[in-house]
Amino acid sequence: MRSTANPKLMLMILSAVFAFLYIPISVLFALSFNEGGLPTAWTGFSVKWYGELFRNGDIMGAALNTLIVAVISTILATILGTLLAIGVETRRRKGHFLETIIFAPMIIPDIVLAIALLSFFSLLNFTMGLHTIIVSHVVFNLAFVCSVVRARLKTFDWSIVEASTDLGAPMPVTLWRVVLPVMMPAVIAGALLAFTLSLDEFIIAFFTAGAGRDSITLPMQIFAMIRFGVTPEINALAAIVMTVSVIILALSQRLNRGRLPGQ
Amino acid sequence: MNQPLLSIKGAEKHFGAVRAIDGIDLDIRENEFFALLGASGSGKTTLLRMLAGFEMPDAGQIILDGKDVSHIPPNHRPVNLMFQSYALFPHMSVFQNIAYGLEMEKLPKAQIKSRVNEILDVIQLGDLAKRKPDQLSGGQRQRVALARALIKRPRLLLLDEPLGALDKKLRGQMQLELKRIQHEFGITFIIVTHDQEEALVMADRVAILKDGKLLQSGTPREIYEHPSSRFAADFIGVMNFFPVHEADGKLIAMDGSVITAGTPMSAGQKGVTAIRPERLSLTAGAENSTTGTVIATAYHGLDLQVHLKTPAAPEPVLIRLTADVAEARPVATGDEVTVYWAARDTRAFPL
Repeated sequence: MRSTANPKLMLMILSAVFAFLYIPISVLFALSFNEGGLPTAWTGFSVKWYGELFRNGDIMGAALNTLIVAVISTILATILGTLLAIGVETRRRKGHFLETIIFAPMIIPDIVLAIALLSFFSLLNFTMGLHTIIVSHVVFNLAFVCSVVRARLKTFDWSIVEASTDLGAPMPVTLWRVVLPVMMPAVIAGALLAFTLSLDEFIIAFFTAGAGRDSITLPMQIFAMIRFGVTPEINALAAIVMTVSVIILALSQRLNRGRLPGQ
Repeated sequence: MNQPLLSIKGAEKHFGAVRAIDGIDLDIRENEFFALLGASGSGKTTLLRMLAGFEMPDAGQIILDGKDVSHIPPNHRPVNLMFQSYALFPHMSVFQNIAYGLEMEKLPKAQIKSRVNEILDVIQLGDLAKRKPDQLSGGQRQRVALARALIKRPRLLLLDEPLGALDKKLRGQMQLELKRIQHEFGITFIIVTHDQEEALVMADRVAILKDGKLLQSGTPREIYEHPSSRFAADFIGVMNFFPVHEADGKLIAMDGSVITAGTPMSAGQKGVTAIRPERLSLTAGAENSTTGTVIATAYHGLDLQVHLKTPAAPEPVLIRLTADVAEARPVATGDEVTVYWAARDTRAFPL
C-alpha cells in the first residue's frame, strides 16, 4: 500500500511526536549538568551533581537495595519463567485458561497487584522487607520472562530434541547442549527485560517494603526526596537510571530478534 | 536359515480411537534396503518412530538382533533416525552436528575427529565443516543429516522421507547416492516414503502399508508385476482397469467382450481386471483385445503415451508405445486403434 499523504506533513507530525516524547528527557539530562542546580537558569556545565549523588549515603543505600532486588528477582524469574514457558509449550493439549492466568500479572494494574500482595503477606504474618519486594517482583517478572521465552519456543523445532535423544543423549544433556543454547537469546532477552522492570518499579515495592530504611529502593527514595522539590542530584540519578535502562532494553530487543551472539 | 535382523511381531499402536498400527508382522534382513510405502495416514511414519523408540507399541514386539527392544528408549537403541526435517542443531557447525553422536558415546577426541573427517569425505562436505546449517543448501543439509545418523554405525538406519524436501533432479541423484552409501557402509536401511517410484528404484524390498495394516511386501518386481490387491495395483505405477463380472467361467467386460486373466475369480463375482500400459500392444495375437478411439497422445521422448477411449472401460485406457514402435506405426488423435494384451499379464481382482 502506498501512502497518499503529503510526506512533508508526515515528517512534521513525526517530529512533533518525537519532540513531545524526548524534550522533557533531554531537559532532564541537560539540567543534571547545570552547575547552579536551579531548573530556571543555566549557569554553566558541571558534573558536580553526579559527585554529590555518589556522596549521598541515603541514595547509595537505596541504589544498593534496588540492585539486590533486581538481580535476585531477575535470576529467580528467569529460571522459573523459562521452565514455565517450556512446560506450557510442550503440553499436549493447550488450555486457554492456563495461558490467561500466566499473563494475568502482566495485565492486572500494578496497584491491584500491590494491594493483593500486601494483603497476602499480612495474612501469612510475613515480616516485610527486601525479601518481600523480591518475591513480589518475581511474581510479575515471571509473566514477562515466560511470554518472551514462549514467543521464541513457538518457532522452536522440537525435532532437534528427538534428534539429540536419538543420537544417544539423555534428557539433561539434551536440555543443556541443545534446548538451552537455542533458546538462550530469548532467555537473556527475558532476563534483561525483567531486570529493567524491576529496576524502576515503584508501586509494588512501596506496598510490600518493610518499615525503616533497610528496604527502601531507589524509586522510593526519589519519591521521598521530590516531596521537598526536585534536587539536582535527582536529575543526575534519573539520567543514570535512564541511560542504564535504555542500554539494557536495546540489548534485550537486539537479542530477541533471534540472532545468536557472534552470528 | 539366518534369523532376520529385525522382526516386528503383531505390532499395534492406537492414538485414541485411531489404530495407527493395526497388527503388523514384518521381518527385515541384515543389509537390506527396505522401503515402507504408503499414503499419508497409512501408519508408515508411526511404524518408523516405533522402530526408533519414540513410540512404544501398545501390543506386539520389536525384536532386533534377537532381543526385544520394544520398550527400550531411543538413546539406548543401536538404531538411528534421519528426520524428515533433518533436525540439524542450528547452533552447531556441520562438524559439531556430526560429532554429537560420537561425543555421546564418550569416545576420545582424536578418534571423533578422524571419524567425522572420514565421513565428511564420503558426503563430500569437507570444505563446509565449519558452516552452520542455515548456511547450507537443502541438498547439503540432507547429507549432513545422513552423516550424523550414519556415523554411529547403527544396526539399523531409519530414514523418514529423506528426499522429500529436494527438487526432482537432485532427488534422482540422491536416490543413487543413498544406495551407494548403504552398500559402502553395509548398514540396513529402512526408508519411509509416499513416492512409489522412489521405493521401487531404491529398495531391495518394499512393504505397502494401508490404514495401519501391511498390504503386501516383496521385491519391487514382485510388487509391480504381481500386486496382491486392487489397491496395491493402483498404488504402484500406472494401471488400466476393466470392470468385469464372472459368468460361466468367463470374465465379461462392460461392453460384453470377454477378458481372459492369469488369475481366477469365483463364480458370479464382480471385480476388475488390471493390465499395465506397457503390456498393451498394437500387434495382434494376444488373447485379449479392445478397439477404441485415440483421444490424446503425449510425447515423452522415451515413449509415446496414448489415451484410448473404449467401450470396455469407463476411464480412457493408457498405452505406452516405445519410441521405435510409435515410429513404425504412427498413432494420432482421432484414429481408431485396436490394442491386444496377453492373459498372463492380466490380473483379476474381486471387488
